Amino acid sequence: MRIEDVVCSFCGCLCDDLVVEVEGTRVINVENGCTLANEKFMGDHRLEAPIRRSGGKWEKVSYEEAIAETAGILLDADRPLLYGWSGTYGEAQTIGVHLAEVLGAVIDNTSTVCHGPSIMAIQEVGHPGCTLGQVKNRADVVVYWGANPVDAHPRHMSRYTTYCDGFFVKNAFRERKVVVVDVRETESSQVADEFVKVNPGGDYAVLSALRAIVRGKRDIIPPDVEGVSREQLFRVADMCIAAKFGAFFFGVGLTMAPGKNKNIRNAIELTEELNRHTKFTISPMRGHWNVYGSNEVFTWITGYPFAVDFARGIAFYNPGETTSVDILRRGECDACLVVASDPGAHFPRACAEHLARIPTVQIDPHVNVTTHLSRIQIPVAVAGIDAEGTAYRMDGVPIRTRKLFQGRYPDDLEVLEKIYAIVKEAKG
Amino acid sequence: MRVILKTKPRAKPRIPIEAEEIIPQNFLRKNDIKIFEGNKERSLDDLFFVTREGPAVSPDQVEVILTGDTGVIKRVGEYMNAGRIIIEGDIGMHCGNFMSAGEILIRGNADAWLGREMRGGRISCEGNAGHYCAAGYRGEKRGMRGGTVEVKGNAGDFCAEYLSGGEVIVHGNCGDMPGVEMRGGTLVIGGDCLRPCGNMTGGTCMVFGQARQFLPTFRRNGSQEAEYAGKRYRMNVFRGDVANRGKGTLMVRG
Ligand code: SF4
Repeated sequence: MRIEDVVCSFCGCLCDDLVVEVEGTRVINVENGCTLANEKFMGDHRLEAPIRRSGGKWEKVSYEEAIAETAGILLDADRPLLYGWSGTYGEAQTIGVHLAEVLGAVIDNTSTVCHGPSIMAIQEVGHPGCTLGQVKNRADVVVYWGANPVDAHPRHMSRYTTYCDGFFVKNAFRERKVVVVDVRETESSQVADEFVKVNPGGDYAVLSALRAIVRGKRDIIPPDVEGVSREQLFRVADMCIAAKFGAFFFGVGLTMAPGKNKNIRNAIELTEELNRHTKFTISPMRGHWNVYGSNEVFTWITGYPFAVDFARGIAFYNPGETTSVDILRRGECDACLVVASDPGAHFPRACAEHLARIPTVQIDPHVNVTTHLSRIQIPVAVAGIDAEGTAYRMDGVPIRTRKLFQGRYPDDLEVLEKIYAIVKEAKG
Repeated sequence: MRVILKTKPRAKPRIPIEAEEIIPQNFLRKNDIKIFEGNKERSLDDLFFVTREGPAVSPDQVEVILTGDTGVIKRVGEYMNAGRIIIEGDIGMHCGNFMSAGEILIRGNADAWLGREMRGGRISCEGNAGHYCAAGYRGEKRGMRGGTVEVKGNAGDFCAEYLSGGEVIVHGNCGDMPGVEMRGGTLVIGGDCLRPCGNMTGGTCMVFGQARQFLPTFRRNGSQEAEYAGKRYRMNVFRGDVANRGKGTLMVRG
């Protein structure tokens, strides 16, 4: 069966123009997708049934047993952590937040290790953003800062910027200027009109210098700012000021560089400054598929986008204190439920070691690094392949994903609702 | 009145305790001080051996002494408005949040957010302070507004972020970005620091050690003398941050 307009469930671009061929319960061909999408749809390494660690070995258990034991682990804990959520859809994330509230748990999503600092900066100074459609149709200057879309979001340039003609940009390749700012050359910097190489950790100073230039304080800029010459800074600032419509995109190269949220705040304030001269916007290059959705869902229900601590019965948010990496590094939590993410692969070693020490349960379709740290794993359907739901694109546009075939796995929502029901009954 | 709180051994000693009710005024009026251990509510006696000595008729006559494994106890002294708290060892995050009067003495190290958005009173830390010492809460536009925080050792990153009033003195080194978004008050750094005062719009920061990775958006504005630890030093004076309005003063030892 050939299915058109399929939404990719890998990265934050949520490309919605894939054509997928399905045979029974397998995807056999993907058109229009990038290599990442092909691997996501056609990779077939699912865990067959729920497993539990027993005496140093894995044993298969029923879904009912695995779910009941998971609920028991969470109920016994004094500081449970519910982490992940970005690889699943909004409906399942909603149950996750309710579960956290009933348990008095901390719930956190993968923003904690990617664009959490972006949200913290937005909370300080707001977000002059726009949709990707606006960028595609209007932007004549695009700046990628600390991002390498060719590798991480392979179709971003071809669907929205460098290689994509828009309504007001008829010949994008010639009319759109692309600037890449990074600490090293990348495949993306090779297609840029201007590559700005910044010393590692020097982004904040370069952004401050650009702000001063745009404010007309050119005389204060020294000959070299963190490896960038004054002439190049003037050139980039002039290019931005002369733009009809400019768009900054920034990645984890900026959010996770020293200064973190202050880098993003500085970039937002540069964008605001540029808006005194022309129209300029700024957007994060969200990575993990529905990570934007997890921020949305958490915010609707709790008021906070990630790192929400329900220990006191009300929502408390303080990145650095209630973020998963910090909680795990300090060895605070005594149980962890991981949903649709792989912290074992992404977190620092000390955090992975703590996950291995405490009862960790993973709800995920695949065997991954976290499996090896877990006590129980419950396999589920893959969002966007054999499970449907709503996800958010990196620019905040919600898109409904489809179920391509009826598989044999329950989806995240079903499993989480069963855990929630047991917990709710126990808590009264 | 002197109240001595000695921690009891716990089955899970790394689970944080939240104890904002440990403030001098509560020992005068409240008999049921509640504390949270993770997501479980506990009484004071569940977690501490409590000794009360002598009388008191007002909160400023109450001295609370915390001893034992106190490094994971958060929010001690939150909203404190009188009296004295002495912590014999380390203390957890948010010690002295929003305090308006009284005194906190920490003989060990303090974790992050020491004196967050403090309004008045005095905090002295004989060891090191963590990140965001004397800073603001997430998204808040004003951090510490009054009072004094003195740290004998070092402080972590983002010390005195959003400082709006009062005085912060760190005798050792500060980490990255002390005084970032500062808009008032005084920050004194006895040792070295990285990238001081990014985006400051007001207030005065004095660095008596080295200011590394000095931001390019501060304008030199002569020099002047300043006193620190009983000695006078010649300081280079800068105005900034000119990435915005640039009305702050940053002085670095010449
Ligand atoms: S760019 Fe991202 S969303 Fe688009 S096809 Fe590739 S992995 Fe999927």
